[in-house]
Amino acid sequence: MNEQNFALASRRTVIFFVMIAGIALLSLRLFQMQILQQKIYEEKSSENSVKSVEIPPERGLIFDRNGKLIASNSPAFTLYIIPADYIAKNDSIIEAAIDEKFGYISKILKRNKSYSKFIPVKIKKDIDFPVISWLEENSEYLPGVSYGVEMHRVYPAGIMPSHVLGYTKEVSAEILEKNKQVYKAGDNIGFTGLEKQYEYFLKGEKGVKHLIVNSRGQKISNFNSGKSDISPIRGSDLILGLDVDVQQTLEQSFIGKRGAAVAVDPSSGEILALVSAPEFDLNIFSFVTESNDFSKLINDKAKPLFNRATMGLKPSGSTIKPLEALAALDMNKITENTIYNCTGGFLYGRFFKDHGGAHGRINVVHAIEKSCNSYFYSLIYKIGIDNWAGYLRKFGFGSKTGIDIPDENDGLVPDSKYYEKKIGKNWPRSLMASLGIGQGELLVTPVQLAQYTALIANYGKTVQPHLLKAYVDNRTGKTIYPNYKSFKVDIDRKYFDIVRHGMYLVVNGEGTARSIKSNEYVIAGKTGTAQNPHGEDHALFIGFAPFDNPKIAIAVVVENAGFGSTYAAPIAKKAIVTYLNKINKNVFLPDSTKKINNNIAGIPIAR
Amino acid sequence: MRVDYNIRDKFNFEIFFSAIILISIGIIAIYSATINRTDVQANFERQVLWGCIAIIIFFITYSLPPNLFKSLSITTYLFSLLVLILVLFFGRKISGAKSWLFFGPIGFQPSEFAKIGTILALALFLSKKWVDVDSFKHIALYLIIGLIPVGLILLEPDVGTSLTFFAIILTMIFWKGISLFSLFVVLSPPFIAISSLFGINYFLGALALIAIALFLFKKDIFFSASIFAVNLGAGFFTDYVYNALSPHQQKRIQSFLDPMSDPLGAGYNTIQTKVAIGSGGFWGKGFLAGSQTGLQFIPQQWTDFIYSVIGEEFGFLGSIILLMVFLYLLTNILKIAYHSKDEFFSLTAIGILTVYFVHLIINVGMTIGLLPVIGIPLPFVSYGGSSLVANMFMLGIIANIYRTRKYYT
Repeated sequence: MNEQNFALASRRTVIFFVMIAGIALLSLRLFQMQILQQKIYEEKSSENSVKSVEIPPERGLIFDRNGKLIASNSPAFTLYIIPADYIAKNDSIIEAAIDEKFGYISKILKRNKSYSKFIPVKIKKDIDFPVISWLEENSEYLPGVSYGVEMHRVYPAGIMPSHVLGYTKEVSAEILEKNKQVYKAGDNIGFTGLEKQYEYFLKGEKGVKHLIVNSRGQKISNFNSGKSDISPIRGSDLILGLDVDVQQTLEQSFIGKRGAAVAVDPSSGEILALVSAPEFDLNIFSFVTESNDFSKLINDKAKPLFNRATMGLKPSGSTIKPLEALAALDMNKITENTIYNCTGGFLYGRFFKDHGGAHGRINVVHAIEKSCNSYFYSLIYKIGIDNWAGYLRKFGFGSKTGIDIPDENDGLVPDSKYYEKKIGKNWPRSLMASLGIGQGELLVTPVQLAQYTALIANYGKTVQPHLLKAYVDNRTGKTIYPNYKSFKVDIDRKYFDIVRHGMYLVVNGEGTARSIKSNEYVIAGKTGTAQNPHGEDHALFIGFAPFDNPKIAIAVVVENAGFGSTYAAPIAKKAIVTYLNKINKNVFLPDSTKKINNNIAGIPIAR
Repeated sequence: MRVDYNIRDKFNFEIFFSAIILISIGIIAIYSATINRTDVQANFERQVLWGCIAIIIFFITYSLPPNLFKSLSITTYLFSLLVLILVLFFGRKISGAKSWLFFGPIGFQPSEFAKIGTILALALFLSKKWVDVDSFKHIALYLIIGLIPVGLILLEPDVGTSLTFFAIILTMIFWKGISLFSLFVVLSPPFIAISSLFGINYFLGALALIAIALFLFKKDIFFSASIFAVNLGAGFFTDYVYNALSPHQQKRIQSFLDPMSDPLGAGYNTIQTKVAIGSGGFWGKGFLAGSQTGLQFIPQQWTDFIYSVIGEEFGFLGSIILLMVFLYLLTNILKIAYHSKDEFFSLTAIGILTVYFVHLIINVGMTIGLLPVIGIPLPFVSYGGSSLVANMFMLGIIANIYRTRKYYT
């Protein structure tokens, strides 16, 4: 046994000296490196080193259905300062050159003090070219001042579908936290509209450039003559169902007005145009957003940033009457020949609803044509509140359509439960009368109205409304067509025929929209006026054309305008005529994507 | 048993505050290394959080009843082996070695845990009254206990960590009192094996050294000859095994023996860390002012190469202060090991001391270009929750040993 050998003082000494020796060896080496050879290493540190720099990819382009470029990119210059090299004396010269107030630069530099002094600080975006060339000329007097080229969005098609396209913004700290692998501070990210919805497609892939830099991070040359660089990949291009001309027609019709219009192809669900007026200028967001520009937009009473087409809630007005007729026919509460005697008003209990002017003995077709309120007052009681809510939901009201831009409202479909909750078990049944003519609690969005119009136009069959028709993957060059949910309502075709007949007469008979009757195309539709307790009524119109083989279905809402027939219907007509003219004159190519592909190939890819 | 209510008698401030200082230096350096990288900026906050958790674990370990370590040592050891086997199947590969186990977002290295388990098991074995460290049977048994985890770790393969285990095995049996001759017998075959990998000349030179040593020990000629034969065999056996390995395994061994054979990998890091430290000079470039650090020349600098941040930004002064804090901590642990009269705890303390010391020497050594680059973190300083917690747990055992050192006198 070596019990006496355990933990000997001599062994402790051995361990102690091993420790001392080890640490002494490290210290000697540090002394050699940091004191004796410091100069050598310092030189090496300032000598050439390879540094990799990210190259931002170009965002994907956006085309309309005929291959017209709606959104593309254009270079802009950004001014940077590397604090370690910068001389603060130059503040005033540069501030004058970039048209900023005294103290602008020092304020920004102060804000970035907690970061390394070698990291370039972004001073200002979108510098004019003359300023950049002035910087180039005087670079030796302006140490630490540099610039970079960034891409920003431009909109060459002469339309400004601001709510459809949306804009990009510098990525927020929150999103950055969750997507560290993808984004870096200062990167742009789609913030609203399609830019947000299809950010994943549009953003592209970053490239890497290897530079030989000195210790100040200044570029000396390209590493390996650029052979080890990775080129960025442009984001996927989007091809929309949008038609530039229809969009333009609608945008122009809405100048000076507030409201929204949505036009769809009833058989495919492709959105041909989507306007929320007033639109705002997307160019404001392409560059660094001046805070006062932005606050001007936010504080504007017309709420230009609010997407009325998907978020704006209004009572449907009389545009809902065709659906009501469909419901009653489908439930066998009425037939085409059921006659109702309109005396110019409707009595429910003690309440008398007056609409002035008696229509006499009319059937359902003429009730739609004349928009006879007392007819529909009586009809709603035959249908019943919960059945009515059921039909509304069947046609997509009360829930999101699933349109591919962020933020959409559900709308509101009131049923008996709703009234019980709001008022109580004995809610006055007279409230239903308002529902009969699309007033009161029912709230719909323009895109829901367009979807509903498409359903009627196409005999209960359409596809979920969508803007994106296809996208072109720039890595593979393949064009991919996403599938969308088809939307079917199971109601007998003959009932649709009855209702469509009524809508035909609205425009082509003695109806409320006979003023928009067209000699070229057979338009069918329905006007509506939504009561507005806060001011002038809202004008509505839904319509489709051509009557026999509908190619376009449209919903138009003009806020605070008055009668639908006077204000909304002519706008719809203009859009319909523009689109059908185009199809008939074969401007519209049946195989549009082929042309788009050619277009893409022709666009030089900026590197 | 002497009762003493003096707080300094119950709590060793020296080791606790040394560790706190080291953790703080680490957090400052991690901040500097990650501030310009959005992808890892959160590492700074995470390390602060892990620091707090580690301190809590330290105090829990500190206040546990000391016999618990003894009674749990075999369980801990067996569990260590289990997780070391599990990691071979379910582990995640990080920088070449399958050494991490993940439970959701939380990962840990089973080898960290195995260090503790192995130290406790070896200490328990050596502290048995019947164990004679100069009996070959007992030495063999001791080596088996120690080398099973080493074998499993080499399968990951994590050469750096297995080196730590060799050091633990050696130091603990040395502390127990193995005779110099037995130590020689144990050490010579691996010595021969490694030298044979360098080529025939190294092999012959090593054999000559063994022969001289055998002559100096003046043991009986037959005994000496058989030891020499065993060594010779070890050399040929290694050669045989090496040739039986697949080429990529051979390459791995080669690049371990000669890091410059892989200049783009480890070589690049060494060049950059040396430049960072050397250019720091006496005073350093100042906090957040290191260009090598700021310009991100050193990959993963916040983990294994954290010492280069300190060297660059706080210079020779800062580097030496850090080494001195370590020396102070280590000498105090040695003192505790020496004064503890319970063999089990004394041996445990020596094992833990070895872990810290080996990590310090290898990590700093590789950062300043003295040793090949082996992925080993700097205790208390490098970024990483699982190693920080393991280190503070072990320090908690030391503090516990200090608190209860008089119980067995």
